Amino acid sequence: MKVFLPFIFTGILFALLQSSFLPLFLPPDWRPNLILILVLYLGLNENLPRALIAGLLLGAIQDSFCGPSLGLYVSVYLVIVLVTRVLTEKLNIESPPLLLLLMTAGTLLQNFLVGFYLTVFAESASVLHILLPALPKQLLINILFATLFLVLLLRFQRLFGYRSGLAGLIYQSKHHGS
Amino acid sequence: MRELLRRYQFLLLAIILVLATVILYSYNLRQKTATTFFERAVLTFSAPFQSGIDGIADTVSDAWQNYIWLVDARQHSLELEQENLELHSQLQQVQEISLQNERLRKLLAFVDELDRPALPAQVIGEDASNWARTIIIDKGTLSGLRNGLPVVAAQGIVGRIIKIAPDSSRVLLITDASSAIAALIQRTRTRGIARGRGEDLSIEYALRDADIQAGDLLVTSGMGGVFPKGLPLGRVESVKKDQFGLFQQVKAVPTVDFSHLEEVMVIVGDDR
Repeated sequence: MKVFLPFIFTGILFALLQSSFLPLFLPPDWRPNLILILVLYLGLNENLPRALIAGLLLGAIQDSFCGPSLGLYVSVYLVIVLVTRVLTEKLNIESPPLLLLLMTAGTLLQNFLVGFYLTVFAESASVLHILLPALPKQLLINILFATLFLVLLLRFQRLFGYRSGLAGLIYQSKHHGS
Repeated sequence: MRELLRRYQFLLLAIILVLATVILYSYNLRQKTATTFFERAVLTFSAPFQSGIDGIADTVSDAWQNYIWLVDARQHSLELEQENLELHSQLQQVQEISLQNERLRKLLAFVDELDRPALPAQVIGEDASNWARTIIIDKGTLSGLRNGLPVVAAQGIVGRIIKIAPDSSRVLLITDASSAIAALIQRTRTRGIARGRGEDLSIEYALRDADIQAGDLLVTSGMGGVFPKGLPLGRVESVKKDQFGLFQQVKAVPTVDFSHLEEVMVIVGDDR
């Protein structure tokens, strides 16, 4: 459980930023999904059991901060973690822009799954009128914040210790001693 | 068999987990009014932080305004003479604002007219996603609130409480895609269902022959028992009739400006 506490607190911090701080400056369509960035990062870096549990916990946190029903993001993030794990076996995870590429794919997949679940299970088909027009803005802002996340992570990685795997630069810097 | 299981263990695990979470979601969809222990814990834990962020944002905003005021003070003094001339016209505007205040007070008083007790609350957070439309208010079960209570603002209906914790609640806005409210056009009493579409509302099941015009006021019909009858929901923006079909397509703009919502009233009781 101790292992997951940092994920839970970071998730709650990101959820607070999304629900209380960012709305002061950004309209709904332009608000990034910070928790999705975290889920993708953990999907790339942690082993499968940890990534799965972290994905489920972060999904539950996001569900507590949005929408009417618990379970939607739990399922969505679980699928995203699983897909990320499958992809990491086939992609070059040492490439720095991979997180950005995954962010693009993750945003598209998340929007598709949210739209699918809400349309099929909750019969809220009108959510598509909200999701589709906002998609290009979501892609842009998520990639922007993922870039920021990556830059900050690389800058402060010495504080947290090196982790092999994530987006290349860390892996390379570990091996080149920089 | 064991070999088969071992070979496809990842796929099997993935399918089982996804199915389990889908079942969890489906189950929770049927328990809409129930707040789970996890949700209550997260809401309780995060409420003080959300209030804090809200307070800090106000303080920073005030400080920034004051700073700007100081920077501009010199220029401002030079402009005073010009401003003095404008004061006369501003005085007239003040009188206009005074009248507007009076009107707003009357709007706020509709809670009294409904003869139902109401509790003021402050908006301390918004939804953490870009597609759902919910807000968090700083009152919960400790203030006597419960799930399903209607929430209003001076301009009309805001939504209803869907999740509740001791000192905070989540309110589903009328613009959320899962919100559907029995409504009627005030002028012609035409009935329909006002469904949220993010920024606006669509009025469903409004009969094709019904007289609906742009600018018509949309009010709650009182059917369903959640919202009192006759409260403003929105104004009709456009009406479209296809060549075929039983119903017309009506779009309405909410009377409440959700982007500037700071205080709301929760109607806490039934008719006295």
